[in-house]
Formats: sequence, structure tokens, C-alpha cells
Amino acid sequence: MPPRLLRLSLHFLSARPAARLTRTTPHYPPRPIPTSTSSPRAYHAYDRPTPPPYPPTETAILTAALGRVPAHGFSKTALALGARDAGYLPVSTNLFPAGEMELVKFWCTKARLGLGGTVEKEGLPEGGVRGRVKELVRRRLRMNVEGGVVGRWGEAIALMAHPTYAPTALAELSRLADEILFLAGDASLDSAWYAKRAALAGVYAAAETFQTQDTSPGCVDTERFARERLGDVESLGKAFGDVGEWVEFTVHGVLNGLRSKGVRL
Amino acid sequence: MATSRIARPLARRLNARHVLSTQATPLRAFSYALPARSEQPPRTTHFGFETVPEDVKQSRVASVFSSVATSYDTMNDLMSLGIHRLWKDHFVRALDPGINPLIATPGAPPLSILDVAGGTGDIAFRLLEHAGRVHGDNTARVMVADINPDMLAEGRRRAAGTPYLSQGRLEFVEANAEVLSMVPDASVDIYTVAFGIRNFTNIRKALAEAHRILKPGGVFACLEFSKVGNPVLDAVYKRWSFGAIPLIGQVVAGDRKSYQYLVESIERFPSQTEFAGMIKEGGFLLPEGGGWEDLSMGIACVHKGIKPVEEKVRAEEPVKAEKPIYIRPSNPAQIPY
Repeated sequence: MPPRLLRLSLHFLSARPAARLTRTTPHYPPRPIPTSTSSPRAYHAYDRPTPPPYPPTETAILTAALGRVPAHGFSKTALALGARDAGYLPVSTNLFPAGEMELVKFWCTKARLGLGGTVEKEGLPEGGVRGRVKELVRRRLRMNVEGGVVGRWGEAIALMAHPTYAPTALAELSRLADEILFLAGDASLDSAWYAKRAALAGVYAAAETFQTQDTSPGCVDTERFARERLGDVESLGKAFGDVGEWVEFTVHGVLNGLRSKGVRL
Repeated sequence: MATSRIARPLARRLNARHVLSTQATPLRAFSYALPARSEQPPRTTHFGFETVPEDVKQSRVASVFSSVATSYDTMNDLMSLGIHRLWKDHFVRALDPGINPLIATPGAPPLSILDVAGGTGDIAFRLLEHAGRVHGDNTARVMVADINPDMLAEGRRRAAGTPYLSQGRLEFVEANAEVLSMVPDASVDIYTVAFGIRNFTNIRKALAEAHRILKPGGVFACLEFSKVGNPVLDAVYKRWSFGAIPLIGQVVAGDRKSYQYLVESIERFPSQTEFAGMIKEGGFLLPEGGGWEDLSMGIACVHKGIKPVEEKVRAEEPVKAEKPIYIRPSNPAQIPY
């Protein structure tokens, strides 16, 4: 990989001009938004509501089951009680072949989509993609506290680490990283796209693991941890970039030196 | 030799069709003024590769299972190399029947399960054992319904060795899955049918009956042979089922025809997608991932459906017509983009 590309790809959250967060508002009374959300559109559009990730019955049962998580954890019991709360039978949990993992996935999805909601409601701080990413990670970690799942999140991590469910968990993590960078207004289309998402996902997973052991009020330690790790990634990216620049310079120097000695290159 | 054995059912099917087509247009003499139109051709269904009138299938299936009842277990072990036990165990474990008394609503009726076509009690014993062992639920009840008295007799004989019969938690009833008139509406939590539904004369009617007797939120669960996705494995499997199984039947149970029917009926059963579609059409909600789970690469398959709870809120919501996404304004000055 040429050094320049390397620098680009590793320069995580580099200080490129921040893309405008404000979504381009149509300069015409917006088209009527279709009320039916059943169409299985696989693409994202700004002026269309995203279809809900779960059908209504599943949403009702899982939402009720989440209310039981603080007492019963991410377990079949919570799911069965949730089904009953929603007017179904405990055996109706056969609707979820993944069992308690579906509950974990539902929480992750709900929180991820909720992130967009907070941006629309509270806005985001000005000043660069980096700052916004930090703020969004802080908000997402805070959701675990406010949703009441933080005391049980260790169980969820154990489930997500299970080989059967690891692919689902990784997919969800990458979607979260993507969502955060998207909401932060990152518009890169180069190879750094992957590096940024991978780095952010790594930091976020570490922060969540930290959170399971965090005893500070409101998990402020976790927030500090995440902030610092994101700072590390930035300086690491910068360091890699600097090293790349140095390598590029040195190689050019050597090549030019050789050329001056008459070597055909 | 093997090819002729595989080709034989095909030839038989062609024969059957030929016979049927000649019957559909009866010969008439010149003295008749009108063709004999009054006789409706009988409604037909499949019996293995044969096409038979609907009323005949039931009695022929009955004779098959009467003849295999006593050697049913041995034969299952030989035909599936013992794997049918793993399938049944998995089926019950995934279904997870039983209500833990600690979280049960006080005064609620015990878990009620209907096991259709489960004459020998294979599934029923497993269901009750799972409920007791995993959930500590010692009140769950299973009603075993089977159309065949010989299979039921076999089940009763085996149930005598378990505590369930004396506790009144197990019941054997002779019934047709399409007419379960002894079961009231919305009274059953779980409806199971393991390796039985392909023998039903009218699967849709049986599904409708399951929908009727299940409580809202109740589960329809079906374990059945299905289609193998991998073509290589499929070829091996076909060779085994058409070559070996009737032979084992002949040697062990002394009955080739019944086992020939078994493999033919497996072949005729709809694929995973089609059957899941039938369950959905029957008014059930399908679980995540299409509503089925392949076992052993699709040799067997678990299908599930959940009877939805009718929600008043959703019923009151008026059905909105699909609006056009963008209506072009008539005034060109208004065209936005």
C-alpha cells in the first residue's frame, strides 16, 4: 500500500472538512411521506421513515420483555414474562428462535435507532466529526444506564460472545459504528471508511465491557474511558500518519540518492 | 436394478394417471343422447406417488400404520440410523414447553398440549419430561390424538411404564386431525405434529383446525421430513430412501409396501418454503427466519407458527390506501426539482 494511502486509511477521524450534518432540506413542500411502512426498501433515504426493524407483535413482546430485564436479566424468563405482559402466552416466545439473544439484539437495535432520535431532538455539538463521535458514544453508553440494562449487560456480552451469536453481535456492532459516524457527519468514501468503523467499533466494545464493571454514579468513569480511548485512536492514527509521512520522505530520499549515483530507477 | 426400482414408482404414477384419464371421459354408446355428465370425478389426493380419491387415502394410511405399529420404533431406528431420536429431542427442546410454577399466574390453567398423530407417545413423553425437568412444571397435560387405534394401543402400552398416565396428565384419543371436535376453541397452548402431517388427506383443513383450537399466542409446531438443499447429499439420501428403506421394511417388518409408501409420501411433501407459506396462509405468524429450521441439512425440518392475538387497537385502525409517492403538479411552475 503506498504510504499516502496508508496515512489516509489510518488517519482515523482526521481533520478533514466536516461534512454538513444538517440534512439537505428539500426546497419544495416535501413529498407526501407514505404512511405504510411495509415496503421492504433496502436503501436509506432522508425523506422516508425507516421501516421498523421488527413486526408489531415481536416489537410488543420484546418491549415488554425489556421491562423485565432489570429483574430477570437477559433470560428466557424475562422473555416469557414479557410475552405474558403483551397479552401472549409464555410459549409464544417460540416466535424468537434465538431466544434471549433476540432480546439483546432488540435492545441494541432500539438504542441504535434511538441515537438518531436524540440527534433530531437535542442536536449535536459544533466542531468537527471527532467531537460529535465522542458525544454520540457518550449518549449511546448513557442509554445503557437509562434503559436499566447496565447491571445485566454482562449477561448480554456473554451471549454475544457465544459462537452461535457472535456473527449477529458483530454485525450489530458494525451497524452501530456506521450509524455513529453517519450521524457525526463523516462522509469519507476512501479506504479510511473501514478503518474508522473498525476503530470506533473496537473502542465502543471495550467501553461497554468496561461499563459492566463500572460502579461510579451514572457510569461517568465509562464515559471518561471511552473519551480517552477515542483520543488514543486519534493519536495512534496521527502517529501512523506521521510514520507514513516519514517513510514516504525517506524512501523518496533514498531513491533520489540512488538516482544521483546513476542507478536507473 | 436400482434404476428400475427408482423408475418403478414413476411408471406407476403414469399408469395411475392414465387410468384416471380414461375414467374421466367414459365411453358412451350411440344410444346415449348426452354424455354421462352427472358423475363428478372424485376429489383426489396423493398416496405416495399414486393419486387416489380423498376418501380412500385415509383408510390406506390407516392400513399402513396398523401394519407398522408394533415394529415402529425399531424401524425408525434402522431407517434413520437412530437420528430420529435426536430430531425429536431437538424439536422438544427448541419448543421448550412448560411453565415454571414460580412465574406462573396464580389460578391459571395448566399448560395444555395436543400432540396430533403421536400415537406411540414418542413426542408426548418427551414434552412432559422436558416440562418437569427444565421448568419444574408437573402439571402440564398432553392429549395424544391419533387416527389409528393400533398406534394408540402401542402408545398406551408404553405409557404404562411412565407416571404420567396415573397422574392424569396424559390422555390418548382416537381422532382425525381434520375434525378435532372433542377439543374446544382456543383451549390449547401447543399443537405438535411429528412425522404425521404428510399423511393427512387435507393439510390445509388440518391447519385450519389447529388454528381454531389454539389459544391466541399458542404455538403450532411440526416436525416433518423435508427437502435436502445440498444436491450431493440429496442424491445419496434419495438412493438410501428409495433403495434401502423398503428393503429394510421387507426384511425387518415383513412389509415392503408400507415402507415404499413412507418414502414416496416424503417425496411428495411440499418444500420448506411452500409449507411455511401454507402455515402463513392458515393465519399463523411465522417466527424469525422464515419460520422453519432444517435438521440434518433438510432431511427433517421443524416448522412453527404462532396464532396471533387479535388486537383491538389494530383492528380499529382504518386501512389506508397506498398513496402515490409523488403526484406531479399540474402547474409546471410548481415542479420542484
